[in-house]
Amino acid sequence: MAQQIDLKKINDKIQQLKETTRELNRIGEDFPAIARNTVRILASLKMLEINVSDLVELE
Amino acid sequence: MYDKQKFWNPVLETLPPEKIKQLQLNKFKKIFKWTYERSKFHRQLYDNAGIKPGDIQSLDDVQRVPKVEKSMMQNIQRKAPFPYGEALCVPLDEVTIFRQTSGTTGQPVYQPDTWQDWEWWMECWSYILWAQGYRPQDRVFIPFGYNIFVAFWAGHYAAEKIGCEVIPGGVLDTKARILKIQELQATAMMGTPTYILGMAETARSKMDIDPSKLTIEKITCAGECGASIPSTKKRMEDAWGAKVYDHAGATEIGAWSFECTEQPGGLHVNEALFLVEIEDVETGEIIEEHGRRGKMVITALDRMAQPCLRFDSKDVIEWAPEPCACGRTSRLIKGGVVGRADDITKVKGVLLAPSAIEEVVRSIEGLSDEYEVIVEKVGDTDKIKLRVEVMPEAEDQCPLIESELVDQLRLKTNLRYDIEICGCETLPRYEVKARRFKDLRKKE
Repeated sequence: MAQQIDLKKINDKIQQLKETTRELNRIGEDFPAIARNTVRILASLKMLEINVSDLVELE
Repeated sequence: MYDKQKFWNPVLETLPPEKIKQLQLNKFKKIFKWTYERSKFHRQLYDNAGIKPGDIQSLDDVQRVPKVEKSMMQNIQRKAPFPYGEALCVPLDEVTIFRQTSGTTGQPVYQPDTWQDWEWWMECWSYILWAQGYRPQDRVFIPFGYNIFVAFWAGHYAAEKIGCEVIPGGVLDTKARILKIQELQATAMMGTPTYILGMAETARSKMDIDPSKLTIEKITCAGECGASIPSTKKRMEDAWGAKVYDHAGATEIGAWSFECTEQPGGLHVNEALFLVEIEDVETGEIIEEHGRRGKMVITALDRMAQPCLRFDSKDVIEWAPEPCACGRTSRLIKGGVVGRADDITKVKGVLLAPSAIEEVVRSIEGLSDEYEVIVEKVGDTDKIKLRVEVMPEAEDQCPLIESELVDQLRLKTNLRYDIEICGCETLPRYEVKARRFKDLRKKE
């Protein structure tokens, strides 16, 4: 199971999501509902990085 | 389906040990640099020791990083900026939650967390609950006072993250909680061993309910080491007809270890998220081999707002000799947290861990769950008094029980005790965490 997981591909998606979320966060500078929700999404994305991206750095 | 998957993270939890070490080193470098650049308190500590972020090139170099003790955190939090002092690594307006330690060892330490840190707490607990068999089909009852202490807060949110249905048993009293478990057919719950045993006693003696006939299948314990003490674990499992699992964590650290469904007689250290070192109490040497106890020095590798770097936890632990049969490659600590370096005390020249007394008391049928240990000095001699409660149905067996206690205690602790056998329900009851070990010599 573990061998079949393409970590690099997953990490690419995580980084795309992160970039998009950061961009939204910037756009939402004067829009509290966007600013605060994107902060929470970024925190969740950090958990994906802990679970996946940190491993990609080992390869 | 993912809920059939054995591991919360099938890659990280089965990583070869050398890869885990590499991951830990990478992460330690990052958290050390983060902390050095943002915390005036830490930077001063490290500058005084002559160590900078670029100096960390191996896990051996980590040992050069000065330890942080609870007293240091207590001191810096007395100083400006209010309320966290100079160890805060994020702007104050990024802090979204306050917690504090219980203060049983002095002034409480405040713990600020950002939303990301709180997500991380939940993530730590998700590893724990998944390893203990929690799945989306579970209905989890959480009988604790939701307040300033972290206790089961993260367990609550991790259970939600996993997809369980969570029942917050906050301000209900014990009887109402038992009735709610019965009414909603909860399948799992969390509590301290003292409270889990106390709930069972209340159900049996005051409500005529047999807790083992309720629907609880698994219980996650925290706050005390009882769930890793075999006789206490057995009492809880027998009382509730459920599997009981231990975990260890702390407000300033995070939830760093857990028992899995294999119940291997120890706790997995979550080595992807924490770097645990065991230090010889006398020499300060780092212990890598199994079978030697020492105190834990721990780093939370992903905690950002108020980092936990080489924290001197005073928890006494030892590495287990074998990996767990569950397939996780993280190391186990044998028997869980055996005690605290503060609690392990010399009596008549012999090192005594209070958990060893609990193991004996709760292995003897006819005794209740409660006991009390009092150490005092009479003249120049240390005396240990052990007070236990006999169950009504065993009152005619007191001489036998006393004799068994003396023999077992001698065997397990190499000490002699004055035994006092009391009637049922005469010793103090504790709601959450118990203080059953009283060393009066320290006050003399």
